[in-house]
Amino acid sequence: MAPVVTVRELRKSYGEVERLHGISFSVEAGQIFGFLGTNGAGKTTTIEILEGYRSRSSGEVTVLGVDPARADRAWRNRIGIVLQESELNPVYTVRETVTMFARYFDSPTPIGRTLDVVGLSANADERIGRLSGGQKRRVDVALGLVGDPDVLFLDEPTTGLDPAARREMWRMIDGLRTEGKTVFLTTHYMDEAARLSDRIVILRAGAIAAEGTPDELSRSLGRTSDISFALPPGTTRSEIETAVGTAATVESETVRLRTDSVQRVLARLLRWAEDARVELSSLQVTQPTLDDVFVQLAEPDDGARGADGAPPP
Amino acid sequence: MKDLRLTLSQTRYALLGFLRNPRAFVFTIILPLFLLIILNTIFHGLTKFIGAKTAAVYYTPAIVSYQILLAGFNSLNLSVVTDREAGMLKRFRGTPMPSWVYLASLIGRTIVVVVCAVAVLVVVGVVFYAVPISAAAVVGVVVYTLLGTVSMCALGLAATRASPNVDTASVIGIFPTLVLAFVSGVFVPLALVPGWLVDIGRVFPLEYLAAGLRTSFTAASSTGITAENVGVLVGWGLVGMAIAVRTFEWEPMGRG
Repeated sequence: MAPVVTVRELRKSYGEVERLHGISFSVEAGQIFGFLGTNGAGKTTTIEILEGYRSRSSGEVTVLGVDPARADRAWRNRIGIVLQESELNPVYTVRETVTMFARYFDSPTPIGRTLDVVGLSANADERIGRLSGGQKRRVDVALGLVGDPDVLFLDEPTTGLDPAARREMWRMIDGLRTEGKTVFLTTHYMDEAARLSDRIVILRAGAIAAEGTPDELSRSLGRTSDISFALPPGTTRSEIETAVGTAATVESETVRLRTDSVQRVLARLLRWAEDARVELSSLQVTQPTLDDVFVQLAEPDDGARGADGAPPP
Repeated sequence: MKDLRLTLSQTRYALLGFLRNPRAFVFTIILPLFLLIILNTIFHGLTKFIGAKTAAVYYTPAIVSYQILLAGFNSLNLSVVTDREAGMLKRFRGTPMPSWVYLASLIGRTIVVVVCAVAVLVVVGVVFYAVPISAAAVVGVVVYTLLGTVSMCALGLAATRASPNVDTASVIGIFPTLVLAFVSGVFVPLALVPGWLVDIGRVFPLEYLAAGLRTSFTAASSTGITAENVGVLVGWGLVGMAIAVRTFEWEPMGRG
């Protein structure tokens, strides 16, 4: 099956300034594709080129086999769009709004079912102006879904939502998987991309910094782990370093050891604590998360990475 | 056929939004009615000053023309700019709905609003202020009302590009149109206005709409439709349409 979205050497300049520097990627059918980047990385420029809103400077782009720059009505019937910033007229009810949008499409999803999918059945007859921020955002998604699109573009669907509303939105997006939709999701939240996406592309300053499944991206950091614990009273950093044989950092009374061989370092640490009769409180072993990957990739030019000055893995 | 049905349901939807928007309702329906009543009351005994048989004979067509200006130009401009700045137009653009359906539905909504409001003004004039009206006059009023509405809508659409945000649209909607109404014989008969101001008013379509409606009301056995009045309204409508087609903006202008 051909990819739903293909992008090859896509470039976009605004005046003299090039914002996208020849990016290439593709999205397979049925995937939830996470397009991750900081604000200003070029996510919205890219997604709006894919949606047919913006022209490109060069490169090839197809969405459902069609160049979005030549979007026609048949193509628009197969695309669902949730814009990053867009308000709705507060005087209409949820049902009125979704019903009106359904009429724009050739074969819409029944209104009741669309409201079910986004979890707004109970609010169907409320005016939009009376909904919470999270509920309004779900109306946006309903308007993207009501045309029964093959691909849904979601531009930062959870930005500005409170944690509960975000989790609710995640559950909903996750549910789209079973509907067989291809979802193109942009976000600047790593946890969101990691939780929802089958595949992630990380965009940094208009270029692709990394791509892969969430697992692959975590592994790309290497198998380093962090061991941390509270600095036991009466001990020093150099004492610990000598005992475990690896560099340690101390920051606000917390000792951090970064190592490729957790088992060996941990064994030495415990033996030393036993011999020195000190208590290791708050002992933790942590794997790098996608957040670490993201922070590393998103701001690699920032010399002072990590306040503890840990060496790059 | 399918698009025609879509235009009708989009018009109904736009009309519902209009009725639920108190600001639009007050400014396009209540305000003209209030103006008609207050002007008729103030100028009741001053028929020599007005140069008409009764104050109502003068002010009923005048306020009808002003209502058409408010609903066609002001209200349409403000609606489109509000929708555009909220990102609604961009959202519509991303659906299969043809662009013209949205614009046609707004014009359709405006025609319905104007026809209802004008009917109320004329009935109030006829019933409460004894404005005489003949069958021929009704034809004239209907023709001028429809033509004037479409022409003002075209100009309202042309003005959207000059209104980068909702505040600007409000100012453009109220300020120049109020001044225009004074120099076009809507509030004060032109005989009382200095010649150079009348000349300014004669550049714009409002005066021709007001004059046309007034002739329709007062001409006993003719419709009052003249080539000059119709020509100016059509001309301004085409100018507005040409500007709108070339400059219309679908994405919010207020933010980057």
